[in-house]
Amino acid sequence: MIDIGLSHYLTLGAIIFTIGVVGIFLNRKNIIVILMSIELILLAVNINLVSFSIFLNNLTGQIFTLFILTVAAAEAAIGLAIIVVYYRNSGTIRIEEINNLKG
Amino acid sequence: MELNLLFLPLISFIISGVFGKYIGDRISEIISSLLVSISAVLALLIFYDVIIQGYENNIVIASWINSGSLNVNWSIKVDAVSAVMLVVVTLISSLVHIYSIGYMSHDQHKPRFMAYLSLFTFAMLTLVTSDNFLQLFFGWEGVGLCSYFLIGFWYKKDTANTAAIKAFVVNRVGDFGFALGIFLIFYLFGTVNYDEVFQQVPQILNNELIFFGISLNSIDLICILLFIGAMGKSAQILLHTWLPDAMEGPTPVSALIHAATMVTAGVFLVVRCSPIFEYSQLTLNIITFVGMSTAFFAATVALVQNDIKKIIAYSTCSQLGYMFFAAGVGAYNVAMFHLFTHAFFKALLFLGSGSVIHSFKNEQNINEMGGIWRKLPYTWILMIIGTLALTGFPFFSGFYSKDAIIEYAYLRGNTAGYYAVIVGIFTALLTSIYSWRLIFKTFHGTYNNQKLKIDTMHESPLVMLVPLVILAIGAIFAGYFFKELFIGHSSSNYFWTDSIKFLIPLSSDHPPLWIIYITPIIVVLSIPFSYYLFVKNKSITNWLINENKPLYNFLVNKWYFDELYDYLFVKPSKKVGIFFWKNVDIKIIDKFGPDGISNLIKIFSNKAVKFQSGFIYQYAFIMLIGFSAILTYLILI
Amino acid sequence: MIAHSIFFYTFSIIAIVSAIMLTVSKNTVHSVFFLILDFISISCLFIMIGAEFLGMMMLIVYVGAVAVLFLFVVMMLNVAEQKNQWFVSTESSTHIPIGLVVSLVIFFELLVVIGGWKFKPDLMTTMSLSINQNITNTHSLGALIYTDYIHIFQLSGMILLVAMIGAIVLTFRQRSGLKRQSYFAQISREKTEGVQLIDVESNKGVNLDD
Repeated sequence: MIDIGLSHYLTLGAIIFTIGVVGIFLNRKNIIVILMSIELILLAVNINLVSFSIFLNNLTGQIFTLFILTVAAAEAAIGLAIIVVYYRNSGTIRIEEINNLKG
Repeated sequence: MELNLLFLPLISFIISGVFGKYIGDRISEIISSLLVSISAVLALLIFYDVIIQGYENNIVIASWINSGSLNVNWSIKVDAVSAVMLVVVTLISSLVHIYSIGYMSHDQHKPRFMAYLSLFTFAMLTLVTSDNFLQLFFGWEGVGLCSYFLIGFWYKKDTANTAAIKAFVVNRVGDFGFALGIFLIFYLFGTVNYDEVFQQVPQILNNELIFFGISLNSIDLICILLFIGAMGKSAQILLHTWLPDAMEGPTPVSALIHAATMVTAGVFLVVRCSPIFEYSQLTLNIITFVGMSTAFFAATVALVQNDIKKIIAYSTCSQLGYMFFAAGVGAYNVAMFHLFTHAFFKALLFLGSGSVIHSFKNEQNINEMGGIWRKLPYTWILMIIGTLALTGFPFFSGFYSKDAIIEYAYLRGNTAGYYAVIVGIFTALLTSIYSWRLIFKTFHGTYNNQKLKIDTMHESPLVMLVPLVILAIGAIFAGYFFKELFIGHSSSNYFWTDSIKFLIPLSSDHPPLWIIYITPIIVVLSIPFSYYLFVKNKSITNWLINENKPLYNFLVNKWYFDELYDYLFVKPSKKVGIFFWKNVDIKIIDKFGPDGISNLIKIFSNKAVKFQSGFIYQYAFIMLIGFSAILTYLILI
Repeated sequence: MIAHSIFFYTFSIIAIVSAIMLTVSKNTVHSVFFLILDFISISCLFIMIGAEFLGMMMLIVYVGAVAVLFLFVVMMLNVAEQKNQWFVSTESSTHIPIGLVVSLVIFFELLVVIGGWKFKPDLMTTMSLSINQNITNTHSLGALIYTDYIHIFQLSGMILLVAMIGAIVLTFRQRSGLKRQSYFAQISREKTEGVQLIDVESNKGVNLDD
């Protein structure tokens, strides 16, 4: 327990990943929480990659993390833009009221 | 020649049935009558050949079934029995065709009528010219079918439809027994061709079968089953209920089918299978008993009927009883002889009554008629000729055939025979009483009709009278001229040869003189007796009716057979049918079948719809579950 | 080493707790704040572990840009005003237990996958991209990105460009009813359009309604 090894970091990553996944479908509020949960998932992946990179003495993980960062930012921007437009059109972003895909 | 004889009626059916609409009524009538008359002429020629030179032939037209040991052919077999039937069927059929031109002149469906008549003729000819049981059964069913068509010819009348169905269903009961008989024949003999079966019969005389737990001699069983079929088709007691209701059809139909041809198919069957029946004394006794009972029963009911056609229908039933009764005592040739003469005078009576009905504008109740013998003289004379022949007045044809039956019954010698003689003589008395009752009430006495004036009564057109005259000639002379041929002492060697089998040759004794003379005396005396009863002094009959109301009701309601059958069979069958419909069909089969499946699909699709909720997080959840499942699977293997 | 573990546990517990609070809290603005806290603690973890460039990058990009963007949108959309309870809709509350079970399954599977993994012993010697302790993290990253991974770098720039254009395209709307200046129209006006000479008769006045 005292000696922090690779597995501790990986466990941390797994926990945050799980919390992010749970947040997607267990939230009762609005869509923005979903987007934030996605950011959490990406964060967990980042932790994984960086810890591997440090412990294996290999810089590839950090480079990959940099690009994941980039893509996450782009995706957050687009996602929020979509939410704004959706809010303009339908007037709500509460989860229970977004069921236009109902068949 | 035989091919032409068989297929001309079929061609007539096709022309009238299919093209009748296009070629018009008159032409289809003429063509069908012409074709069937040609068949009649050919039949007479063949009959002449059979008499003169003992002509026998078996033409195979085509092979029908050829499967394993079952080889059945479509064939035309001509021998003495079938030659007699050919003459009867085609002659009566052609006369009925010509008569119908006049009788159905006010009908709108003449071509259809002619087509059905011709189809019936074809089916009956197939029946009598078959050389195996299967073609016989085909003709049997064919005549049943045509009977259904023709009884229900005026299909817009409700009673006609129900009568047609009744005829078909009661026939069906008989056909079921007949079919079982044929199956049994195939099972025991391995073939259904007459020659092979008849050859093998003596070899299995002691074979026994278990039938519903009872051990029976197989020959007895076959004969009983075949006789059940004959009972259905020939309206013997227990399966007779359809014959009076079949009078719903037009009168030519009654003349053709229910007097001369279809109902004689049962007699033909018994005579044709005489090689089998001769070995089964039990069945012969049963046949005698059934025939006798039918003759008695029908005569008692005919005494009190008021519809002119029903009286003649019951008379037919009674005479068929006589024919079976003759077959039952072993006198098959006498049965054929009576069949031959009966065809003539019964058809004459039916067609004559049709003429009367035509004059009375479709009135059929004899209480509404009377006193028209001056207005319809030809019909009157012809009906009297028919009645004289029917009752067995000396020297008319019925005399020879009916008395021969009673004589041979006596000559049989056993108690069944003696008993049969007494019943036969008593029935002959009843026959003559009801026949003359019909004549006197219809033609004599006071004119009772309320609706029509007596001056409008006129004779029927020539096209209806000429067939009557031809039939009358047959009714008068057929007995005397053909007596030696059919029932003479050497007839079995000379004419019938192999077509009828006599195990014990018919005795050539003569019964005591009182037997020979009693019947004609009774018949002749009954004429003035019934004249007195029904014309001069009607109060006696009224007194008899009032004194014996229960007996009168019993007779008028046909011995309550219809009510009995309704209670025993019809109502339970309806209950069973309704039960099966409501409970089994709707609740069980439909519930698990179409309705059930459609409900199941509805339930499932309602459940499946909930998957498409529109909430994206639920979609993501399901994706997650799928992902974890795959992951688990990949980890575990 | 003890300090290492103390710092590690501190930062990781803060990260986990804020992640949980993010999904659970009733106020959306609080959720965004918890997201920011999460990012900061993980960034601290990265710096502690030796990847300081990435830690700083995360701080700048994630916290400074993405989380602030979230905050903008949350404020703009009046989300905070909706006082949502946690179990407001009953129809979707039925699969909380199932969801928790499934997530536990995923967590344990992740652990199993990771725990059962044994890295190849000779991996460290085959890769030539080992961390040189003498130069800074930033230096080594830069030396790698602009040489070996230059294409990916350019592509990521493209992605950002596309995202920017996409965001503008999605949310841009023309407002009607506004008065705007069009310089081009102003400058390209001809004398014939701008000035009109009218002869005025005395005492008559001039009518300008056209």
